[in-house]
Amino acid sequence: MKKTTPALSVLLVLLASAAHAQTQIQTTIDQSKAQQVARIAIPFPGLPAGLDPQKINALFFAPLTRDIAESGVFAIAPLPPNVPPTPDLLKRISAAYLLDLRFSTTPAGGGGAEIDYLVDTRLVDSTGAEALPSKRYRAGEAALTKTAHTIASYIVRSINGKPGIFTTQIAFASNRDGFWEIYLMDWDGGNQRRITFHRGLSILPSWSPDDERMVYTSFSRNASEMYVINRRGGGRIKIHTGLALNTSARFSPVGHDIAFVGSVNGNPDIYVIRDDATNLRRLTTSYSIESTPEWSPNGRQICFTSGRSGTPQIYVMDAEGTNIRRISFEGQWNDDARWAPDGERLAYTSRVNGVFQIRITNVVTGESHILAGEGSNEQPSWSPDGKWIAFQSNRSGKWQIYRMRADGTDLMPLTSQGENKEPDWSKKVE
Amino acid sequence: MTKMLKTLALTLLATLIVILPACRTKKTPAPVVAPTPVVTTTQPPPVAATPVTQPPDFVQPEAKVTEEALPSDIDELNRVAQQRGYIQDAFFAFDESTLTPDAQTALTNSANWLKKNPQYNLLIEGHCDERGTEQYNLALGDRRANTAKEYLATLGIDASRIRTVSYGEERPFDPGHDEAAWAKNRRDHLVLIGK
Repeated sequence: MKKTTPALSVLLVLLASAAHAQTQIQTTIDQSKAQQVARIAIPFPGLPAGLDPQKINALFFAPLTRDIAESGVFAIAPLPPNVPPTPDLLKRISAAYLLDLRFSTTPAGGGGAEIDYLVDTRLVDSTGAEALPSKRYRAGEAALTKTAHTIASYIVRSINGKPGIFTTQIAFASNRDGFWEIYLMDWDGGNQRRITFHRGLSILPSWSPDDERMVYTSFSRNASEMYVINRRGGGRIKIHTGLALNTSARFSPVGHDIAFVGSVNGNPDIYVIRDDATNLRRLTTSYSIESTPEWSPNGRQICFTSGRSGTPQIYVMDAEGTNIRRISFEGQWNDDARWAPDGERLAYTSRVNGVFQIRITNVVTGESHILAGEGSNEQPSWSPDGKWIAFQSNRSGKWQIYRMRADGTDLMPLTSQGENKEPDWSKKVE
Repeated sequence: MTKMLKTLALTLLATLIVILPACRTKKTPAPVVAPTPVVTTTQPPPVAATPVTQPPDFVQPEAKVTEEALPSDIDELNRVAQQRGYIQDAFFAFDESTLTPDAQTALTNSANWLKKNPQYNLLIEGHCDERGTEQYNLALGDRRANTAKEYLATLGIDASRIRTVSYGEERPFDPGHDEAAWAKNRRDHLVLIGK
């Protein structure tokens, strides 16, 4: 056995613990968490007689407190039951803020028995002074959860000074009703609803920059075609390109352009067309397979997948199709690149040891790391504030959509009915 | 001289070998015929045989062979055409769109049938296995389908009779997650369509 001097042993232990500490820091560091976190007390809202507390909890209070707990700006300070939240109590539980919510109701109008909920919202600091201008929200039952997300966004945005994402939506494809169709859900997986009715195969939704429309691909009569549809499902139009494929369509963040994969005689390339089906332009001309375009946040660059090196790899080009350069060098299969809102990082799907994982690569510094998870993990989509990533995983044996922080923590499943894939997070922040 | 004798002897021997078994066969005794069982019951009286008289203008019916018509239902037609090998799917290696010798044979057989049946057009569906990514596989399936289309065109099938579509990995033939399933799912699926 090799002899080790005591001094060296101490040094080794120190090195080991330093390395351990470093690992710890790397796995837990997150910009939102590194900020000063304020403790906030949120008592269950006062309800007038006749309102069902369980319903208000499910539709309003639970999503609101979840949003605030996941904001990275606040930590929830638990309140003892049935004790009025006096300044003394707030001091005892180290709460810097109290969110005071009160419900009342009013006839919804229209002469029916429907009611609207009125929610008075006050945020006070530990001295009892108002920390924000108080607001009253009015909503029917169908919009109660949206009200919760709206209040959470208002508070987080006002205290943090940065936009909230609690009212954002995630578009996705699901086969829960027998056919693959396009659906929407809230950022926390709530309020899942179908917006297309092709009864065929409809996939790969992409939001317009104003979140009012989506472009997607649908198969009908033995061809795949590109459609644009309004957020609420109406106004569907087919974008006739005259090309085959019409897949991986992505709205430009500026203007009315749509980048997509078109094909002539089996040569898939990146094309751009206006959303009125005019001004078709071909951006790549290589004989290799090109796929999966995505605009940079300022619209000046497009990343895409190309098989020109022999395997699918990620490339970036200027939006005119010039200045093509390779980004991914690890692994034999990379695809699904999506630009983070900061314009520096790409999230993409990268094959590692036979399964796919989400990889984050900084196109400026070249730094790259894997966010490993069980099963295959594909098709990442950034939240508009760049703090979260939605993706699809088959870890449960079926494809489902999950959400995690951009550092891979706080994993949460968002879907469970049928199979679900291809999440696309809406673009706007508040 | 000795050599000549030897040859003669060998020839005689060979002749005997050929003749002897034949002789033996002839000598084989006839098989023993089983004795007719004794009938003890009373026989009915023999019926007088009526002579068969053929009509003078009797003509033997011709042995008829008819060609079975192809199903008119297009789905049934496709099932039959695949089952009988009139049209045959072409299979690919992982992340490949080049035709293997087997794939070329399948397409050649399909082309031969299509030439004789110009009343049908062809849809080629490009399919991929689940191990790739969905978006790239949609593009790969497009190339696979068009590779087969080009090959059929070189075999004399008018390209205007052929349409292509890529389903990528969206419509697997085998839902399994092993190489046997993947191999089945990497294919150009040939579908007959009406004109």
